[in-house]
Amino acid sequence: MAIKLYDYSLSGSCYKVRLLLGFLDLEYERHPIGFYPEREHRTETFRAINPLGQIPVLEDDGIRLRDAQAILCHLANKYDMSGLWLPRAPELYGLVMMWLMFAGGELMAASAARLHDLLGYDLDIETARRNAHAAFRILDDHLTRREIEGGTWIVGDHPTIADVACFPYTALSNDGGIGLEDYPALRNWLRSFMHLPKFDAMSGISEFA
Amino acid sequence: MAERPDRWIGVALDRQIKPGSSNPAIVGGNAIAVWRAEKGPANVWEDRCPHRGMRLSFGFVRDGMLRCIYHGWGYELGGHCASIPAHPDLAPPKTICANVYRSEERYGIIWTNLSESPNAPLPDAGPDQGWQSIRSVYVARQVAAVKGGLASFDWGGGRVEEIGEGAALVNAGGLSLLIAIQPVDESKTGLHVVAKGEGAKDAKARLAWASRLERLRGSIEAQS
Repeated sequence: MAIKLYDYSLSGSCYKVRLLLGFLDLEYERHPIGFYPEREHRTETFRAINPLGQIPVLEDDGIRLRDAQAILCHLANKYDMSGLWLPRAPELYGLVMMWLMFAGGELMAASAARLHDLLGYDLDIETARRNAHAAFRILDDHLTRREIEGGTWIVGDHPTIADVACFPYTALSNDGGIGLEDYPALRNWLRSFMHLPKFDAMSGISEFA
Repeated sequence: MAERPDRWIGVALDRQIKPGSSNPAIVGGNAIAVWRAEKGPANVWEDRCPHRGMRLSFGFVRDGMLRCIYHGWGYELGGHCASIPAHPDLAPPKTICANVYRSEERYGIIWTNLSESPNAPLPDAGPDQGWQSIRSVYVARQVAAVKGGLASFDWGGGRVEEIGEGAALVNAGGLSLLIAIQPVDESKTGLHVVAKGEGAKDAKARLAWASRLERLRGSIEAQS
């Protein structure tokens, strides 16, 4: 049975899922949701699919999943025979989960800033930008230590779903008026990610790196 | 108002400006692009494409040229526009030129002098060889507060000595740390730190110094 993704092309969270589907060479059916200006994700019809009224949603063989991070775990667990994108080794697994939670938590401040600037969301933009900078600093400190150790990726020697989950809203930060001047290790990690085979850009992210 | 005094300011660690990359930085309120061709030294330019004003730090490097992300105009070393993709047969006039600043790599740090007539010497920290990069940290305080914080920080017995306005040297138990001080704007200062000596040779020691610099940042930002 085909994989079906409820998707919006400008959504960084949907982009996480599209990226991994691409890295894993998976075919899928794309069901576009009119996020803006229609706000289709907040309709009764869509809430029957996801009561939280959020995208992405993924359907796969009778399973319906919400939350980009959960979807990444599902896809890697089921389809990545190499085990590299979701390593099961005890010294890596927990770290991947930790940074996945960070991507769905603290890092979403960068998404909030972008929703404000791009789609006119009514929210406290100064707080959003301040929190996004705090999250970027934590990721940059981590990637700086990784660089000193000779590593490139957030966890281990191969990109994982932690990198996939952290990439979109970091790469899209300028959409929310957040510059990356203070984060050299983070910039170099972004560039390495964009050089991965099968990397696919989206609107707001350069195809050239 | 952005100032451009005649002095050398460290803007990045050499090792963190990768071949074939363009990077943003702010120096005394001036936006700059620090970029490197596929090989060779780093270049520091005004972060502005002469065509439509797009930031060149958003650009990308191809065939030794920095290309603007907006219309792909390509600028070669020295700043002259050498390629306009929409007019492939046109030799761009010499008047189309990015604003190039003086830049030097020394001690593993990339320095720039934004002055229109740069004469000042680079900070003198002795021989160029043997410096290992530790990391850059950006502190959300102005330069004076950061210098005060450098002086009062616990360096593990080391002493801080300023080398001119833009750098400081810390000697701590057989190890020298060189700190380039970058005024970003009224509320932020960048520190680019390299080390020399036995205590900087292995990654574990450099990790420990990187952590110490995070603590330095925290201690300065904790002061009101």
